[in-house]
Amino acid sequence: MTQFVESTVKFPYKRSLGPVIGEFMNGLANMRFVGIRSGDRVIVPPLEWDPDTGEELSREYVTVGPAGTVTAWCWVEQPTEAHPLDRPFAFALITLDGADTSLLHAVEADGIDGMSVGMRVAPRWKAERTGHITDVDAFVPGEDPVVPDGDLGPPEEPVTMMSYNASVTYSVPVTAYESNVRVANEEHRLFGLRCPVCGRIYTGGKGYCPIDAVAFTDDDEVDLPQTGTITNFTIITPVQYPGQTETEPFPRVFVLLDGFDVVLGYQPLVDCANEDIHVGIRVSARWVTDDDGVVMVWSPNGEDDVSDPELVNRIN
Amino acid sequence: MPTKDQIAIIGWSVSPMVRHTDKTEVQLLLDVITGAVEDAGISRADLDFTCAGSCDYVAGQAFSFVQNIDAIGAWPPKRDSHVEMDGAWALYEAWIRLQLGDIDVALATGSGRSSTAAPSSIYPMEMDPYYLAPLGADAVTLAALQARVLLDAGKTSERQMAEIAARNRSDAKSNPHAQVTGDFDVDGLLAEEYVRAPLRRHDLPPISDGAAAVIIARGDRAADLCEHPVWITGFAHCSESHYPGMRDLRQAGSATAAAAAAGIGDGPIDVAELQAAFTHEEPLLVEALGLSDEVSINPSGGPLAANPIMATGLVRVAEAARQIRDGGKHRTLAHATSGPCLQQNLVCILEGAS
Amino acid sequence: MSTMPCAIVGIGQTHHKSRRWDVSLGGLVREAALRALEDAQMDWGDIDAVVLGKAPDLFEGVMKPELYLTDALGATGKPMFRVHTAGSVGGTTGIVGAHLVESGRHRNVLSVAYQKQSEGNAQFALGSGRGASIGAGGAFAPYMRSYIYRTGAPSDIGPMVAVKDRLNALKNPYAHLKLADITIESVKASPMMWDPVHYLESCPSSDGACAVVFTDQAGGDAAAAAGRPPAWILGSAVRSEPSQFPGRDPVAPQGAADCSAEVFRHAGITRPLEQIDCAELYVPFSWYEPMWLEGHHITDFGQGWRMVERGDTQLGGSFPVNMSGGVLSSNPIGASGLLRFAEAALQVRGMAGEHQVDGAKVAVAQAYGAAAQYFSMWVVASSLDPFA
Repeated sequence: MTQFVESTVKFPYKRSLGPVIGEFMNGLANMRFVGIRSGDRVIVPPLEWDPDTGEELSREYVTVGPAGTVTAWCWVEQPTEAHPLDRPFAFALITLDGADTSLLHAVEADGIDGMSVGMRVAPRWKAERTGHITDVDAFVPGEDPVVPDGDLGPPEEPVTMMSYNASVTYSVPVTAYESNVRVANEEHRLFGLRCPVCGRIYTGGKGYCPIDAVAFTDDDEVDLPQTGTITNFTIITPVQYPGQTETEPFPRVFVLLDGFDVVLGYQPLVDCANEDIHVGIRVSARWVTDDDGVVMVWSPNGEDDVSDPELVNRIN
Repeated sequence: MPTKDQIAIIGWSVSPMVRHTDKTEVQLLLDVITGAVEDAGISRADLDFTCAGSCDYVAGQAFSFVQNIDAIGAWPPKRDSHVEMDGAWALYEAWIRLQLGDIDVALATGSGRSSTAAPSSIYPMEMDPYYLAPLGADAVTLAALQARVLLDAGKTSERQMAEIAARNRSDAKSNPHAQVTGDFDVDGLLAEEYVRAPLRRHDLPPISDGAAAVIIARGDRAADLCEHPVWITGFAHCSESHYPGMRDLRQAGSATAAAAAAGIGDGPIDVAELQAAFTHEEPLLVEALGLSDEVSINPSGGPLAANPIMATGLVRVAEAARQIRDGGKHRTLAHATSGPCLQQNLVCILEGAS
Repeated sequence: MSTMPCAIVGIGQTHHKSRRWDVSLGGLVREAALRALEDAQMDWGDIDAVVLGKAPDLFEGVMKPELYLTDALGATGKPMFRVHTAGSVGGTTGIVGAHLVESGRHRNVLSVAYQKQSEGNAQFALGSGRGASIGAGGAFAPYMRSYIYRTGAPSDIGPMVAVKDRLNALKNPYAHLKLADITIESVKASPMMWDPVHYLESCPSSDGACAVVFTDQAGGDAAAAAGRPPAWILGSAVRSEPSQFPGRDPVAPQGAADCSAEVFRHAGITRPLEQIDCAELYVPFSWYEPMWLEGHHITDFGQGWRMVERGDTQLGGSFPVNMSGGVLSSNPIGASGLLRFAEAALQVRGMAGEHQVDGAKVAVAQAYGAAAQYFSMWVVASSLDPFA
């Protein structure tokens, strides 16, 4: 039975608006819709360029709306977290009065039967506005904007940036081979897969040989020793970012396994001061448990160094 | 514009299409590349150029395509490229590359495991980052808006959409690579709830994991390698502006333009494989491409039967080629699309030997 | 090859900075594109096709941005294409654009590459959001250690490159880093980031874009006749190889050697150091300058660091490298490859201003990506037959 591993890739992006989108967003913060003129047309929402020709637009802004006409709509019966409302609503294309293009936004009507092409809608503004497309809480049927009680007004400074909190959760199937690796880790075993065509041995998640484009089977399994020699290394000074787990400089070493033409790359090393790491140190595997389960790390095993400077070239 | 050298499709392979594969994307590609080179009667060593189509966000990892090179067997190193687009555009890049005249055989692939994340969480991220993404406006929402426009313009009806759903899934019964197949009663479909009114579940494509590989060869080499080369006689793509409120959603102008540039008017089309992932897109595209009632549309079942995003378009090419090589047809069309409401369209016209 | 000639007649780039918060995404790419169009004396309507390239979309959190940027780049009603080959992508963006002309498919093509990485975080994106990301520097540091050992290069060579490129950048109005006070000592005193690479030996994280306009022979000849000499493409090549297999050499990769062998063959180059006047090579960490000089067989094994030590690769030397300041001075990742290609073209057009190599007629540009496994290169010249 296939198992799945879940991971969420999330990041708080910050986008600079530039002059035109900035004008529109500041308009929203001030409960106003701003379009930009392009020839005979008023483009809403405004772009820095004409959408058909790409020509740069002179910054002639035109206030449009606040009310407009719905030209198309669809009904969202089950909103997701990404949606602007947490109860059923419509997404609609709305041609604001004075605009020649239509704006996409949410409409909160009285159920799906409250929506129709041609209906008139007006914005319901949020009390706290940040210069963001969601400063409009939603459009509602009618001609008149709805201003909330306790309107906090626009931000003190004109807005130049917006935030976008992206979050995507992936549920990825664990392959049979990856499951075998997990079981082996738990049993403190290291194994590789030998390509039946070229004889090279692969570790670390590859279930195939990239030279011969051959997928491996259980018959290709080879037990590997848990001792080896450091061939190359680096010490990384961590940079902070959302999701970073390290705070101190940490090493990653390359280990050439005893008796096999196998180099394990970018391995964690413990029990060794960073300044003492060098090519030729003899190491043995140790098994530790962390958030990912049982994982292999390496540590010096006290044997005499191997004095072969050519080892440094064994990166693969 | 005529091609300096005729380029032909000489082999292909399409993976099984499933809701949840337990294979990695590399594995999917390994299988279809092996299948394609075997179909073409060549080996990986014969590939002079390879181009892959795939998407980091679908894979959930930056540089996800890098490990996909492993499926090519790129040793000795290969001339190779990658597009963050459907494999149909990877094929376009390969087709252009072969026309430079110094190499003869190229591979294009498309792959993706859409099952790994909810489309509603990913696809807003391909929309306008200031005005659309923050509203969570995703592909289904935008498709539904276009469907409303087409319904109101009288260009389709909910009944016609349900008929299209039923026909595609019924035709898909004879396609071993299809995922959603079967006989569906149109009235029964129309009685179902809306998912994103006016779209019902049957109007939407399935979520599919899959891959495809297509091999092309140039001129004499194509004829040497293959008894029944399928000649690419026209290949073009075209884009429209992005924001849906600034476009005329009753038309697919860039599809018309791409088809014209690909020479659609040069002769009759027997079969069209269209990347119409939503039912209402089929009549829109049929009209935009000027296809007559005689043209058989999506005999494979199309994306309504299997929608391996980043490969769906390339699968249309393979299916259109199949109709010629294995189906005895003479001139077929494959279409691919990208972006909200058919923003970008690609047309590939194929012919058998005359 | 039976390709049709392809000329570069327009080049534009943004002012590269750590944060271009004065512009939107569209504004960033248009700044470069408008400069290129102006240089080419064309407007949007003259362009037949657009090719967009950039590195992972996780950097900005905008997926498939060619969709949003279609109209921003004047591609409404035209074919719009998006390539992504890791760090080499900028090069590929140029090569794919050029192919559209060389195949006779289109007449005027615009290639644009960019990265607006200040909107996200480069280390986050490189590690796909997971902890303990080793970053590009961490990945390459062992390769550099191996190079230093196998060639016996003195430890000052890396710092020498770091100083050279930043001093060159002072002559490039678009470059990001302006480190007028940089010295070998200050480089060696800067924090060790990925042993053996110091902070000042590594590239910045930049927002920026680059744009190039390609045209056919008639267009190139017309530009020349109008006093706007183009750069002509003598050849281009790409190679990819697998990331890892026992016995793979990522220090002097086979793909690097094969890529340069092919492009030199197309360009008629048999003696690179003599026939090529200057180079723009993708050097994000200082040691990559001697590594690529050797890896691409511009010079022999072990001679790359000697060229650096002798000053050959200085702006006034016998084989200038990275006259623009290179990736070490400006690194909008997706654009960096196209910047190399564009800077090489500027040189042979005589348009590199203060960082111009006198009399440059033939230049090579290179970009690489991922685990030193993607390569793209081109050779450009002031005429189609510079060795005649």
